Amino acid sequence: MNSFRKRLFGAAIVLTSLAGAPAIAQQLELKVMAPAAPGGGWDQTARAMQQAFVASGVARSVQVTNVAGAGGTVGIAQFVNGAKGDGNQLMVNGFVMVGALAMNKSPVTLEQVTPIARLTEEIQVIVVPANSPIKTAQDLATALKADIAKVTFAGGSAGGVDHVMAALFAGAVGADAKKVNYIPFSGGGESLAAILGGKVTAGISGLSEYDGQIKSGKLRAIGVSSEKRIPGVDIPTFKEQGIDLVLANWRSVVAAPGITPEQKKTLSEAVEKMVKSDAWKEILKQKGWDDAYLPGDAFAEFLKKENVRVTDVLKSVGLVKS
Amino acid sequence: MTDGVGTEAPARGVDKAGIVIAALLAAVALVLVYDANQIPATTMYGMGPQVMPVVIAIGLGILALANLIDALRGNLPPRESSDPFAVLLILVGLALLIGIIGFGGGFILATTALFVTTSAAFGRRAFVMDLVIGAVLTTLIYVAFDRLLTLSLPAGPLERLL
Amino acid sequence: MDTFAALAHGMAIAAQPMNLLYALIGVFLGTAVGVLPGIGPALTVALLLPVTYKLDPGGSLIMFAGIYYGGMYGGSTTAILINTPGESASMATALEGNKMAKAGRGGPALATSAIGSFVAGTIATIGLAFLSPYLVDIAVRFGPEDYFALMCVAFITVSATFGDSPIRGLTSLFIGLTLGLVGIDKLTGQARLAFGVPELLDGVEVTTLAVGLFAVGEALYVASRRHHTEEKIEAIKGSLWMTREDWKRSWKPWLRGTMFGFPIGALPAGGAEIPTFLSYSTERRLTKYPDEFGKGAIEGVAGPEAANNASAAGTLVPLLTLGLPTSATAAMMLAGFQQYGLNPGPLLFAERPDLVWGLIASLFIANTMLLVLNLPLIGLWVRLLKIPTPWLYAGILVFATMGTIAAKPSVVELSMLAGFGVLGFLMRRFDFPIAPVVVGLILGPIAESQLRRALAISLGDPMTLLQSPISATLLVVALIALLAPFVLKGLGRFKANED
Repeated sequence: MNSFRKRLFGAAIVLTSLAGAPAIAQQLELKVMAPAAPGGGWDQTARAMQQAFVASGVARSVQVTNVAGAGGTVGIAQFVNGAKGDGNQLMVNGFVMVGALAMNKSPVTLEQVTPIARLTEEIQVIVVPANSPIKTAQDLATALKADIAKVTFAGGSAGGVDHVMAALFAGAVGADAKKVNYIPFSGGGESLAAILGGKVTAGISGLSEYDGQIKSGKLRAIGVSSEKRIPGVDIPTFKEQGIDLVLANWRSVVAAPGITPEQKKTLSEAVEKMVKSDAWKEILKQKGWDDAYLPGDAFAEFLKKENVRVTDVLKSVGLVKS
Repeated sequence: MTDGVGTEAPARGVDKAGIVIAALLAAVALVLVYDANQIPATTMYGMGPQVMPVVIAIGLGILALANLIDALRGNLPPRESSDPFAVLLILVGLALLIGIIGFGGGFILATTALFVTTSAAFGRRAFVMDLVIGAVLTTLIYVAFDRLLTLSLPAGPLERLL
Repeated sequence: MDTFAALAHGMAIAAQPMNLLYALIGVFLGTAVGVLPGIGPALTVALLLPVTYKLDPGGSLIMFAGIYYGGMYGGSTTAILINTPGESASMATALEGNKMAKAGRGGPALATSAIGSFVAGTIATIGLAFLSPYLVDIAVRFGPEDYFALMCVAFITVSATFGDSPIRGLTSLFIGLTLGLVGIDKLTGQARLAFGVPELLDGVEVTTLAVGLFAVGEALYVASRRHHTEEKIEAIKGSLWMTREDWKRSWKPWLRGTMFGFPIGALPAGGAEIPTFLSYSTERRLTKYPDEFGKGAIEGVAGPEAANNASAAGTLVPLLTLGLPTSATAAMMLAGFQQYGLNPGPLLFAERPDLVWGLIASLFIANTMLLVLNLPLIGLWVRLLKIPTPWLYAGILVFATMGTIAAKPSVVELSMLAGFGVLGFLMRRFDFPIAPVVVGLILGPIAESQLRRALAISLGDPMTLLQSPISATLLVVALIALLAPFVLKGLGRFKANED
């Protein structure tokens, strides 16, 4: 298939790492698929893995391939059919793919791939314009319960993590999730403009995206979706405010279906080494991603739970027919 | 409404191609309406996803009618005869390109096939010469973009030799 | 005053010989990759970003700016020479530019495009430096209803691309609108016209449509008429360089194009397509040589090219002041900036003025380098057209398909490309204009989503379109633009009667 050769900088890293990293007995030659176009989050994750795999000496060479289309629906279909039983192939995926597969009625599901590990996550935030009368998450809840149609949420694509969060928030405060007035925008830029311009009541996004606006006081963050307060972030969680909503936009890596337990073990160990490497930590810091490493069965369990939760939410807002 | 006064207007009859075009437009309009009806109605504020297709379908319907009237009046601009063989050759080239890539034949083979057929469609008969030129050109492109820039181009048997 | 001092300091750094060399390399690489149809500036920047990693931050930033400008200019080169716009923003350029190239005026077309880009880039960069804080306040006030009204203006003005028959022009536009429906509906996630094919869920790629209609369709059409007319492509006729007349006809379109491009580019959902089309239609209306339009009028190249470049600088306004990447290219630039420790956002101008001014200085230098590199190359580019016709078109098809093969190497996508090629051929044969199809594909989905967003926010009340002052104004403008030709015609008749 597509041969995505070493990038120029990849080559440079190989050279420098050969000198420094201890040689490992079995060096892997991996293929990592990013089921999205170059440049997006999954692509960046795949390329970061490529960099860290090679720099830490876990793999001798790593190819990244891009198969774009429909939130990963096209990519996973190709992965499941083309990589079956191949112990050298990995695919990046994440929260958005769960919803996309359900919405697009994909014949291929995440149950068919072999879960390896969750890698990163990003906490979600709800913001309102600085001059909004809404000050806390409870204020927003009150507004929702008063007239849910009038509370407009701006965020990313329909069925994505922001949309799911709007529905979960409404459900958690006792409003009818079905009636949430969620307005998808293409890209954070457009939705941010709509929030700053006061066109919508509230906005939902990953925390890092609106960080600058929150710090400069143009937006007020009324809550984050993490379990506990994030160190260094002065925003209360929803849980603290009495609203049971915990959600993160996670990214993970999976292997092909039908691989042997040994192959799975090799890949899991390789990913573990990669995640523990300095190169990976350096990349996380550079990109501002939170480490959310969760390997093995715990991850498989997590994946299953998220699948159920997301599909339920999408059904409740009418995006997925039951 | 200029009724043909002063225009050269050769044989002002019914234009068959024009009728076909009108029919096609009407067919597309019907497909749009059919497809819009398949979209499940979701709870939404404002306008649903099925409104726009219907609006466009109405527009297409009106345009189909307008094109039909034009065709019946023979109001279409005159057309020159064309060389179906040349068009066919390029289409064969495109089909080869799609087929070779679909079956994993790789970038070089696929684009070389397109190069040779297109060149032949434009009247060249030096088949072998064109084959060589095409192969060299596409190999250079492949090397430059796949190897140096890591743009992923489909690889087949030839690419693996490089 | 601080602004000037900071800018001067940035310039001093950027103008060091090593940095100039980096800028030159960046422009060269950017142009080389950007000329490939289907590979727009965003992908060019993505592909070449790693090359810059190894340099020191200053050099890396400046090379990055060079790649960016080179990638933008590369798209216009193919639009002019082989009627294959590299990205949607250079589509308007192809309309007149390619006609010029075929008439042996490719040299002046490329020159006016390069100089226009330079002029627009320079003015817009100055605008970026001094107007950003004010512009961004206005830009943020634009709501969905205002964007919808802006689309209405754009829809009216694209009629300039319709050619002789409004029925045929509208038919083309509606084909484009239909294609725009294909894929997942942005607002509800429902699939439309995808017929269960997953590859269709993402919709029709603008570049696939444009390359299919323009390049493939053209090759088919020319091949079909080969026995008929010796449609000779002349590489050079007259001066390779712009004549005094060309300059006279270009400078106003450059400035007007900039006036369209920069503010609309600064809008978070403005984009580069609308200003290029607005510029094209304006030039067509204002020109003293209306007969030349459609046959290669230099104004039709100068205006859209300037608009294209100015809008690119415009997208930097929300990117730097709000941290908003409003286009794919801007998103790549954001990734690039973060590499240099530059975190765009509301605090950037206050916290790191040195970096901002360094960047702006880099943009100036890179823009100049683009001119330095490309003006001497024009002679070389134009000679490409001297290649014998069979090889020329064979080569065009190879290049045209490779962009699609690189971006999406799927059988479905390539079949769409071939299908659009056939569509382009048939439309040429039956005399339907091509450009409105692409315009419909671009504008249709934006207009629809913005209208539906506006209606969702207002809970279905259409009066929201008139309640916003911006939207109301734009709708009036659209109405005037719609009626003006008729009124002017009437006046003309009136005057003629008086004489």
